[in-house]
Amino acid sequence: MSDTSTIRNYKGSRRKWSATTRRRFSCFLFVLPALLVILVFFLFPMLRSLQYSLTDWDGIGKEAKWVGLENFIWVVTESSFRQVFINTFYLIILYVPVLNVIALLLAIAVYNVGKVGNVYKSILFFPNVLSMTVVAFIWKIIYSYNGILNQLFRAFGLESLAQDWLGQAGTVLPAMSVSIIWFAIGYYLLIYLAGLYNVPVEIYESAEVEGVNPVQKLFRITIPLIAPSITINIILSTIGIITLFDLPFVLTRGGPGYMSETIALRVYSYAFVTLQTSYALAMAVILGIFAITITLIQLRFLRRREDVLL
Amino acid sequence: MRKKKMLGYHRRRKLLINLVMLLIMLALLMPLWYVLNNAFKAEQEIVRRPLVLRPQDFTMDSVIRAFRALKYPARFLNSSIILVVSCFFLVTLGSAAGFGIALSNSRFLNRIYTILVAIITLPFQLAMVPLIFMLKAMGLINSYLGIALVYTGWFLPFVIFLYTGFIRTIPKELEESGRVDGCSLLQSYWHIYLPLLKSITGTVLILRGVPIWNDLLVPMITLTRSTLATLPLKLFSFIGQYGASMTRWNLVFGGTFVVSLPILIVFLALQRLFIRGVVSGAVKG
Repeated sequence: MSDTSTIRNYKGSRRKWSATTRRRFSCFLFVLPALLVILVFFLFPMLRSLQYSLTDWDGIGKEAKWVGLENFIWVVTESSFRQVFINTFYLIILYVPVLNVIALLLAIAVYNVGKVGNVYKSILFFPNVLSMTVVAFIWKIIYSYNGILNQLFRAFGLESLAQDWLGQAGTVLPAMSVSIIWFAIGYYLLIYLAGLYNVPVEIYESAEVEGVNPVQKLFRITIPLIAPSITINIILSTIGIITLFDLPFVLTRGGPGYMSETIALRVYSYAFVTLQTSYALAMAVILGIFAITITLIQLRFLRRREDVLL
Repeated sequence: MRKKKMLGYHRRRKLLINLVMLLIMLALLMPLWYVLNNAFKAEQEIVRRPLVLRPQDFTMDSVIRAFRALKYPARFLNSSIILVVSCFFLVTLGSAAGFGIALSNSRFLNRIYTILVAIITLPFQLAMVPLIFMLKAMGLINSYLGIALVYTGWFLPFVIFLYTGFIRTIPKELEESGRVDGCSLLQSYWHIYLPLLKSITGTVLILRGVPIWNDLLVPMITLTRSTLATLPLKLFSFIGQYGASMTRWNLVFGGTFVVSLPILIVFLALQRLFIRGVVSGAVKG
């Protein structure tokens, strides 16, 4: 590097520190304010969560007594935990594959139509800029007994399909998933589209000359070549759905009963509704471990697939 | 001959895709039209004609009532202040940190950068509870500064990631030539680099400003005084007043419409920027 030459440009190079060290230090000073805010308002509270989840801390009293895994055992053996865990898992299954398949197919369609695609992109992306509070209220009315969905079913003579979508154990999570997909799809579509634009056009052209059919094209060319986008999207959408709060909270608040309650909602209710702070911390730690584990598993699996496919 | 045939095939395929897309677009737009047309009718018309707005039914009544009940101007102001303060922190601290990381060759800062990237995906819920107690102890509950610091701590790792990635694409010679001319690091940050960061700052504002503007969770737990409520928070409590049954649909539609209006206008004006922002953020992610 040009470090030796720059030393000469500094008149006060006789100080104790070499120019390189001084420069590194001043670079560090640029990072320091951001680092402090992240440490104080994000990382430190996280470490506190880990620490206090092993105590009976209630947030107010000064003394926090070590209780080991007691909080974890309590929240996990609580009678509805099994349901909450199943809900979280079921929602991932209802959301991630459906979202990604539809987003990818729509991205391919948008890619193929040329300029009109810009209009489609805007329409598909628009719900994503709305507040999830707004989105949840819209869908709450759509799904309600006299809402537009049931009205349409009745209008087309499908009376039997009209039902209380958010009020039944069997339909609430699929219905919730649809509303989240409607909200989120534009974002994931744009990521896929960016991946598609990175594929050299010549590959498709030569495939066409060879007479490759569309299905083969999708599985043999498109998917392998945009594998990195698929990896990003699957991981982002999984973390997104695991930690999602606003939309399910406004849409159902976990109801009916706790048939649509997820781990993320339960952290909130322990912390701010029933005010059981130490249980909230244990639940938050479970959420964190769950999110990190799933991400790591997916990352490993998807990266390996990327290698195989390429 | 063969080429002509292929062109015909392409055109037909395009037409077919467009037809299917048109239907999908209509389905996607339906929930929005449902809100839009019903925000401008009387309550009893909503169930009777959910998707048609007849001129003789048009009324601003629900919108005006929702606007008043939400105390809209005050909520708008709260949301705006929180947005501006948070974004100010994110952009200044984030760009400075990105600048420092990208220009230093120190292994230490690179290691910090790796850690920052790794914590982007950590769930906010993991920090939430101790954070609230800490804010209470610091007197930062019910404060614009407090909520802005929460967003800053939460989103800075991602913002630093974006800025660092961008600044690394700028040739280092730029800073080196500045140094030869006697620019201090601070001067070259301010005079040379900051003007180059306009587009990435746009991306940052879109990718993190929109979620801040729309957020419900953080205002709900940090702003307990009702006069400080943001637009989404107030909408939530306002509609909540009508209970789970949500009997007053006209007010729900009027309320969701007025709350969405600012972002709708901004989106229509800056569509390209929004879409480019998401794409450039994602490609780096």
